[in-house]
Amino acid sequence: MTYINSLITDGLAFALPLFIMAVGGIYSEKSGVTNLAVEGFQGFGAFIGALIATILSLKSGLGGQTIIYIAIAAAFVGGAVYAMLHALLCIYFDADQVISGVVINILGLALTTFLTSQINGVLFGNASNKFVLETSYRFSVPGLSSIPIIGAIFTKVYPFEILILVLGVFFWYLMYKTRYGMRLRACGENPQAVDAAGGNVYKIRFISVMISGGLSGIGGMCIAYSLLVQYSPNIYLGYGYLAIAAMIFGNWNIIPTFFVCIFFGLAKAGGNQLCLVMQLSSLYTNLFMIIPYVLTLVMMIFFSKRNHPPKAAGQPYDKGQR
Amino acid sequence: MGQEREEYIVEMRHITKRFPGIVANDDVTIQARQGEIYALLGENGAGKSTLMSMLYGMYEPDHGEIYIRGQKVNFRSASDAADANIGMVHQHFKLVENFTVAENITLGIEPMKKGLGIFPYVDLSEASRKIAEMSKSYGLEVDPKAVISDLGVSIRQRVEIMKMLYRQAEILIFDEPTAILTPQEVEYLLKSLEELRKGGKTVILITHKIEEIKKVADRCAILRRGKLIDVLDVRTTSTQEMANLMVGRTVALQTDKSEAKFGDPVLVVKDLSVRNEDKVQVVKDVSFTIRAGEVFAVAGVSGNGQVELADAIAGLVKTEKGSVTLLGKDITNDAIRDRVEEGITYIPEDRQKFGVFLDFNLRSNLALRRYYKEPFSHKGILNFDESQQYAERLIGEYDIRSGQGAKTSLRSMSGGNQQKAIVAREIEQHSPLIIFVQPTRGLDMGAIENIHKQILQERDRGAAILLISLELDEVMGLADTIGVIYNGQLLKIADAGTLSSQEIGRYMMGVTDNE
Repeated sequence: MTYINSLITDGLAFALPLFIMAVGGIYSEKSGVTNLAVEGFQGFGAFIGALIATILSLKSGLGGQTIIYIAIAAAFVGGAVYAMLHALLCIYFDADQVISGVVINILGLALTTFLTSQINGVLFGNASNKFVLETSYRFSVPGLSSIPIIGAIFTKVYPFEILILVLGVFFWYLMYKTRYGMRLRACGENPQAVDAAGGNVYKIRFISVMISGGLSGIGGMCIAYSLLVQYSPNIYLGYGYLAIAAMIFGNWNIIPTFFVCIFFGLAKAGGNQLCLVMQLSSLYTNLFMIIPYVLTLVMMIFFSKRNHPPKAAGQPYDKGQR
Repeated sequence: MGQEREEYIVEMRHITKRFPGIVANDDVTIQARQGEIYALLGENGAGKSTLMSMLYGMYEPDHGEIYIRGQKVNFRSASDAADANIGMVHQHFKLVENFTVAENITLGIEPMKKGLGIFPYVDLSEASRKIAEMSKSYGLEVDPKAVISDLGVSIRQRVEIMKMLYRQAEILIFDEPTAILTPQEVEYLLKSLEELRKGGKTVILITHKIEEIKKVADRCAILRRGKLIDVLDVRTTSTQEMANLMVGRTVALQTDKSEAKFGDPVLVVKDLSVRNEDKVQVVKDVSFTIRAGEVFAVAGVSGNGQVELADAIAGLVKTEKGSVTLLGKDITNDAIRDRVEEGITYIPEDRQKFGVFLDFNLRSNLALRRYYKEPFSHKGILNFDESQQYAERLIGEYDIRSGQGAKTSLRSMSGGNQQKAIVAREIEQHSPLIIFVQPTRGLDMGAIENIHKQILQERDRGAAILLISLELDEVMGLADTIGVIYNGQLLKIADAGTLSSQEIGRYMMGVTDNE
């Protein structure tokens, strides 16, 4: 029973950060900018968040949980600012969007690793490559959490999980119900139509890529708090790519993507639990960690045919072209 | 004309527009009155679209002025023009395919509401009602809730028209609206243009099809090589006169055809069936024979399997059953190159996609059928001198106009000249069977005349010709034998002389003798 409970609890704690990153990916791609840079965005965003958290806990008298919220906000800003580089390359310089995404990822890893040790050198006189973070507070909902099995959903919940759910609803609403969202989706399908209707394709795409970076940053920060309890180059473990896979299986729609992320989360947590149940040494956990990725490959076989990526994704918009 | 002090809704005075290397418009003046259908007639490259792009704010003129309702305007973008109640239906539709009709129509001016008094959201219910109402009053049936990707081209075009009307456009520009439509759809569109005129709208119609102008337009400005040649009253001008003015010389509206001399059968198709990608049977048990020196034309409404039939014979799609025999040899399962070697050449419908490499130059494109053979290549190494000479010869013989001779990239050439290049390349194969699919689609009269002449020349040389065309006039003008295809079946095969266009039209709609 406890296995099942921690499967659900851990699964959700992983699935939700993955989900918010995937929403970030959707924002960029639906606006017509291919986004392989989620990995770099989440890492860079988390770096900024962790940096702010480290400085605040050193220099300010703020409480741990307050710092966590500030760190998440900082990760959003950091991711969004870093994403401007991708936006600039793809939208204004017509760079190949796949290459730009890969470059963003490599640059993110190199830059943040370098900066982390430099800043640590200045702050602590010790050039360590990680920022140690505080453990986030977790809560259980009284009553609900004691229901068998389902109760696990309400047990040991990170506050950021609630935040991500709220953001998920907000960004779903923004994409499907508002004027900006409608134009964003049109930009990813036929930017000429938006232009002819008086919309500014460049601006809409730029904002969307920034949102993409910001949401990815939040995802990265949450993973740093939950999975790693520190910020280190380990943040670039490939969860950004997993988020892209979730986006693709979710057919670039937010609600299906949510369920794909839950599935990935449960698969990953399931791998860990399986390892525990079978009382295997921790060496084998790595083997079980591949479960989400194997599932990705298997699902790809079944889903890739029915998928409809945004038509204009990957193509720079050229106003002159008719 | 033009001397009376009349109020013009659109006046473009002394417009000049230069692009690198060409003068697209040279001192052109046109004036349209409110509530008329004003046609712009001219061949491809005559400057019609450029002129209208300036009226729609996509370009700015180098010289000259534009007046709307007597007010001078300076449009810097399409939205400036839209603010002056000008709308344009482009040749390539600007629609978002996975959006509904209503979403497309309201894009850019989305009607907003507030949920719970604070959350703004796009509300289309009111707009959908309005669209449904407008579509009724102009006879343009569209379902506001339909998704664009489910709709055919003619309905998509209606959506584009509704888009203008929804924005209260008073001046409606149509850029070659009938190029993509079937004859029935053309009729429908022309009726709606008249409907719009009745509603007081001013319609500017860009076209190179004189019959359409004759049917609906009030006045017609003729452009040739960027210059305004004349403005005519359509009612008092004959079709022949307009054609001559447009091309700048006397053109033959009827093609002269010599007596047919049929030889042995070249192509024998028996019980041929083809399924498309969605596993739907699109060609059903089709059988026919084409003899040497015969033009066999397949008439039909677009999408009835004619293109798949041609593709199956050329080897582009697999046959489900039946056989294709060329000169007595069964080629049903042969590879495309083998078929070419055995004597099939093919002029495809989508010339830019299947006919040429747009970013290759003319020399390479002309050598496409032969580059791997001596003397165009020797032991796998290309011989450019040979292909250069070959290209120069074809450019001369077939009058292919290109800016920089054999070095010109196909992309920079006009559609008519791209087609000339393809036709030249294919005809030079001197194959026993030539398949033409929609060979004159989107071409102007001069180019059409040229291609028709070449088709007949090849026939007289003794080639068997399979002609697939949506233009009934083309079928009637060229065919020795006509096959009418409906829903994948050849409903009727008959000598050209024995069928009237009305009869063919009835078969095209699926009406058979026994009904």
